[in-house]
Amino acid sequence: MAWNYSKKTQQLFMDAVQGKPGTHLGEIEDPDGLGEHGSIACGDALRFTFAVERHPTDPTNDVITEAKYLTFGCTSAIAASEALCEIIERGRYTPIQALKIQNQDIVEFLEGLPDQKIHCSVMGAEALEAAVFDWARKRGVDLKLLGLENRQEEQEEGKLVCECFSVTEPYLRRKIKELNLRTIPEITNAIKAGGACMSCHHVPGGLQDLLDETWGVAASAPASAPREEVELDATPPISPYQFSKKIEKTIEEYVRPMLQQDGGDLEIIDIKDTLVYCRLAGACSGCAGAAQTLRMMVEGTLKDNVDQRIRVIQV
Amino acid sequence: MKTIYTDNNATTPIAPEVYQAMIPYLTEDYFNPSSMYEAARSAANAIAEARQAVADALGGVDPSEVLFTSCATESNNTAISGTAKANPTRRHIITTAVEHPAVLEVCEDLERSGYELDIISVDESGRLKIDEFVRALRPDTLLVTIMHANNETGVIFPIEELSRLTKETDPSIVFHTDATQSMTKLPIDLRGDFQHVDLLSFSGHKLHAPKGVGALYMRRGTRCRPLMLGGHQESGRRAGTENVAFIAGLAKALEIANQEHEESEARIRRLRDRLERSILKQIPEVRINGKDAPRLPNTCNVSIHYVEGEGMLYQLSAEGICASSGSACTSGSLDPSHVLKAMKVPFTAAHGSIRFSFSRYNTEDDVNHILEVFPGIVANLRRLSPYWDNQKNQPRPEAVALQAE
Repeated sequence: MAWNYSKKTQQLFMDAVQGKPGTHLGEIEDPDGLGEHGSIACGDALRFTFAVERHPTDPTNDVITEAKYLTFGCTSAIAASEALCEIIERGRYTPIQALKIQNQDIVEFLEGLPDQKIHCSVMGAEALEAAVFDWARKRGVDLKLLGLENRQEEQEEGKLVCECFSVTEPYLRRKIKELNLRTIPEITNAIKAGGACMSCHHVPGGLQDLLDETWGVAASAPASAPREEVELDATPPISPYQFSKKIEKTIEEYVRPMLQQDGGDLEIIDIKDTLVYCRLAGACSGCAGAAQTLRMMVEGTLKDNVDQRIRVIQV
Repeated sequence: MKTIYTDNNATTPIAPEVYQAMIPYLTEDYFNPSSMYEAARSAANAIAEARQAVADALGGVDPSEVLFTSCATESNNTAISGTAKANPTRRHIITTAVEHPAVLEVCEDLERSGYELDIISVDESGRLKIDEFVRALRPDTLLVTIMHANNETGVIFPIEELSRLTKETDPSIVFHTDATQSMTKLPIDLRGDFQHVDLLSFSGHKLHAPKGVGALYMRRGTRCRPLMLGGHQESGRRAGTENVAFIAGLAKALEIANQEHEESEARIRRLRDRLERSILKQIPEVRINGKDAPRLPNTCNVSIHYVEGEGMLYQLSAEGICASSGSACTSGSLDPSHVLKAMKVPFTAAHGSIRFSFSRYNTEDDVNHILEVFPGIVANLRRLSPYWDNQKNQPRPEAVALQAE
């Protein structure tokens, strides 16, 4: 697929690669904050540094005056890095204020990014966060006291499994074990992976394969529909034959007479455990309310008289 | 001599507009759609637009649910084998006796490797035996694969009901339908009536696009693995460089079909019905196969008792008329059509079956020409038939007895 970048993104990229004045390519020597994010495997990595104007008494009032980056990556990764630095310098933020910059702010500054490039903006936000934690350590600021958790994840290199959310295989393998994730929906709920285009679910090396490799094939496959043992509260337990007979008897005694009053009738096609497959016949067949009739009346009657677990399926 | 093409269930002529839509990608826009340079953009866009067109034609599904393949056979193979691969703990498959070999033989191959296979039969008019289907459904069923419309008879199966019954039994059972013959001929709404269908196959060359392109609808989250590995194309679900020109052609064909559907459907139905009425009137001892079941409007499958189909095809061909037959001599095996056998068409008639199938390019003149020559062709063969009494123009009594056996 050919490129689809906004004018702003293209402009920032061209300015950066041509080294125009005002761009932020480079690395600050002895930076006050340094953060890295990204991986060679994904094709982009960012080294972000900033310098602050130190407040004489309160380090939390330091102001970021300069920001620079070194980025190994594509057009949008470089443009996103450029955007990050501009946003920070313009805002004259303290490092703690800078933490509020989200990847969405970078996307907006770039006037949009193609979906598959969103991770470039995430990379910028993550590198910034890492740099702020670095600054805090150097300046003796306890971020926990300020109610800020170190959310920094360890860097994980590896094959991208879920491209939509940039989730790598090592990370997935670790999370599947740590969080005891057994199914694809569980993975998606826990860490978002596989929640958008879903195409990574059943491809080779995809989510299902990772589940299978972690837990074994049998454990992660969907179980056969539970074959509930047909048992009534009454003792001794009822046999499938007796269960079916009881259903037939109930239909004969209660259901059929009601239907026949209206010139209708009912045929049982099959009974599988607690599923009863029926067809309405006579005047009832082709009636628009037939499905409703079956569910309400037949199912209700069978539930009351035979077993609460019975479900009626109209054939 | 003019060719009268009435074998549109086998393949269709490429629409001129479709051909035009393909040319750019066979000439100046030859680029690989996966390439990064600006020049490749239009090839990539063509695929994205085509995917949207297919998604629209299927009732407004999400484009990411549409995979392009090389043909319906590939789509069917992917659907069936891919579902089996992705669900290793389930080993039971349900299909029907009248499926296309691209479904039936894949199922039978799985049966050879240990899967259980239930093949649901049809009645004499070609209708699926629903009760038999219901009884075959099991809590551990892996896959139900049932065609939408039959290629030989045009008989339509109630996919809405069959898929609903399947999902009500257990939502984890995968439901696949081969819609190769019905696509553009019948309404297909995967957000409406077909909401319980997980996988749906069709090809381009049955709807005036070229051979060599097909599609597989794969509902989000369906447990199905790819058949073709080795590339990121189609989100890893079907590797291989996209056939851009043909994919663009498929999209164009769907667009035209959508514009012309109502007008052409009514006209095609009139042609088919007139042909059938006239054959019934002019030729004794014939039966229309599938007549009492819901059928595609374009398909006429007629059995001419006591004559062999291949001989009829040959003479029709000499008149420029293209049709096909379920006779053993035309199938490459010694058996007549498995579809007609499943419908218990007596073998004296199964061998004498002829299928005419129409498209929007057929005319009243085509039907006139068929009707001019066809009764004579049948008469020629019956004159030679040991089962036919030419004096009385009726079957010999011993032949009738044979049929009753």
